[in-house]
Amino acid sequence: MFKKYLAVMLAGTMLVSTLCLTGCGNSGSDSKDDKKASSEDSSSGGDNLAESKELLQKAIDDIQTTDNHQMMAEGTTFDVPEAEGDAEALEKLDDSDMNKWHYYEYLDWDSEADSRFPESPADGQKGKHVILIVHGAHAWTTCYQEAFEEACEAVGMTCDVYDPNWDQSTQDGYIDQAINEQPDAIVVIPVSADHAGQQFKKITKAGIPAFCSNTLPEADAMNNILAYTGPNDWYQMRNLASKLGEELGGKGGVAYITHNVGTSPYYARTFGPMSTLAEEYPDIKSLDVQSPGFEASAVKQVVSDWITKYGKDLNAIVLADDSDQAIGATEACKAAGREDILIVAAGMSKQGAELIQSGELKYASYQSCQADAGLAVRTVSEYFNGEDIERVSYIGTDIIGADNVEEYLPCQW
Amino acid sequence: MSEQINKNPNTNTPKVDTRKTEINKFSLIFNKLGIYVVVVALIIIGLIVSKGTFFAASNIQSILEAVALIGMVSSGLIFITYSGNMTDMSIPLTMAVGGMMAVQTINFGFPVAILIGILSGALIGLVNGFMIGKFRANPIIWTWGFNLLLSGIVRVIWEGKQLYADKVAKDTEFAQNAANTFFSIARTYIGKYISLMAIVMIVMMVIAWFIHSKTKFGQKLKLIGTNYEVAKFSGINCTKTLVTAYIINGVCASIGGIFFAALRKTASYENGTGYDFSCLTAVLLGGCLLNGGKGSVVGTFGGVLAYGILNNILSWIGLGTYEKYLVQGLVFLFIVWLNTYSNRKLGRA
Repeated sequence: MFKKYLAVMLAGTMLVSTLCLTGCGNSGSDSKDDKKASSEDSSSGGDNLAESKELLQKAIDDIQTTDNHQMMAEGTTFDVPEAEGDAEALEKLDDSDMNKWHYYEYLDWDSEADSRFPESPADGQKGKHVILIVHGAHAWTTCYQEAFEEACEAVGMTCDVYDPNWDQSTQDGYIDQAINEQPDAIVVIPVSADHAGQQFKKITKAGIPAFCSNTLPEADAMNNILAYTGPNDWYQMRNLASKLGEELGGKGGVAYITHNVGTSPYYARTFGPMSTLAEEYPDIKSLDVQSPGFEASAVKQVVSDWITKYGKDLNAIVLADDSDQAIGATEACKAAGREDILIVAAGMSKQGAELIQSGELKYASYQSCQADAGLAVRTVSEYFNGEDIERVSYIGTDIIGADNVEEYLPCQW
Repeated sequence: MSEQINKNPNTNTPKVDTRKTEINKFSLIFNKLGIYVVVVALIIIGLIVSKGTFFAASNIQSILEAVALIGMVSSGLIFITYSGNMTDMSIPLTMAVGGMMAVQTINFGFPVAILIGILSGALIGLVNGFMIGKFRANPIIWTWGFNLLLSGIVRVIWEGKQLYADKVAKDTEFAQNAANTFFSIARTYIGKYISLMAIVMIVMMVIAWFIHSKTKFGQKLKLIGTNYEVAKFSGINCTKTLVTAYIINGVCASIGGIFFAALRKTASYENGTGYDFSCLTAVLLGGCLLNGGKGSVVGTFGGVLAYGILNNILSWIGLGTYEKYLVQGLVFLFIVWLNTYSNRKLGRA
């Protein structure tokens, strides 16, 4: 009797499952057809292209960042100088030698090895669907994501955002999922620069346009990236260092608090200023480099220890972050009565702006999170419009001090 | 029957137990003084590497300030570890929520905001304690899951954004003053060198010590940590005791979270990340057994100090980041081994 019931139940379950699966399959293909159709509808003839271009131009002109700057401004490009040797030879150079960092600073890849990228449909961005895969949850990411969504909406694109919460394998999983969904383009902020090559290779191999945003990938990853957009960390940190050297009068001791070891900002924000100071102001000594992370109390301890250890030899501190690190460093200097120590940082956050206003932080580099997202959307849109896009373009930057901090308020995140 | 088994011809000779019963003096000393042996050793090394300036007021201030937050949170976590529930994985979000609630309610005035921040920590502790004490939920899995849940809740409520007290505060003098007072608690010095954060940490340690060693609650917790079933059948209300322990832990974590938010001038869901493990490290360095029933607040304070002094020394030596991790790992493993070794030698573990 029991076996009978079991058999009937099993058969019933299988029947229902089969019906469900068939239904799902149908609805899936329907939705895909719908998506294709909507894409076709939206891209019928040149109307969509013309309308897309109009929308894009309007977005470029109208959308402002929360600190009242153009969100979708044109990116800037830099010439890549000739490397003075191969990567292996340059690695052997001293940390303070600018040449050592060539392959970290520039996306200097062999373009002859580029993959075959998907052709631009040249039918306009309106109606296109983009998937954005960020690196992880953070207030900065929230700001970026919101700006990205705002820009997409303004140009008539739809977007989905996946957040792997700083986990490499989860991001890999999201890449696979995104490929399966067959969007019109995928934009990725890689969790790790080293791993980016594989991720973009997969996307490009699947015939989907791949864009990299914010985090600088390894140069070779560019073989599979249609375009990179983001901040030029090296350039802005070198500018900051030049300004610091000038303030120091070309002499003194500088110590560095780094970003997370091994990440692209770690190299740019530590060795960028270090090598610039060594080149431009050889009498400025590099005293120490420490990586206590981003907790104010940990940074405070390191800076307090430096003050006790180096005394008057410590004249300036370069920080990889103008929020928690800057709070820790400025508090340590205040507690030790060493307000004479010049502190500069990569920024720009609300805490950093307040510290600049109070004079505790001398300078911070301006790096707009919203402009970062805006440039990514602009580049993707231009690709869909069939325009020539720069393979590498950077957002604008500035050095913020007490005299111009008001121009960048209120802060974006 | 016994003659057949005992082949010794001289049956009148008493059996001599030749097993070693002598107590290893080193183990005894370490077991008595615990982590403070290590602290003294670190201080001596500190004196050498700092060329005598280790005891400079600014250096002591630096060490105490650096460990103030870890100390505050550890003064509550010791009750959890001591009760045999290993650790509380929801510490990061308890800290974050404490700070966020305090900032969010800053318009009601500074004292009310702080109270609400602390109460939110107590509430999290109550839920944890009830689930673990009453339903015997696995303490690691439950608190880890609860941490995830809280993380989701705060991200949904505040849309993943950071909270700034001065932004949340209305444009009234009362609210802005409350926000400024909030920021100042992490920047207040009594005299020139004694920071309020360090004082609060020491006061919390003293209160924790009193609760742990001088109250019936502390004794009950020891029995629960040593043997839950025995404690239960001895008539101890294990649920109530564990709920109390978790509430104390939640309160301590939220106080740490409030100071954390005040120091970085921002309350955010990521405040407190990593504190679950760093505080557990301090508690274990202090000689507390992960299985419970052994440990002290005085030892935990030693563990917290060792943590701070070691970092201070490594900065003095000027080791690079990787080397620092290496030395920290080795020193912590050595201390844990010493604890285990001395306990085993004395038959206490």
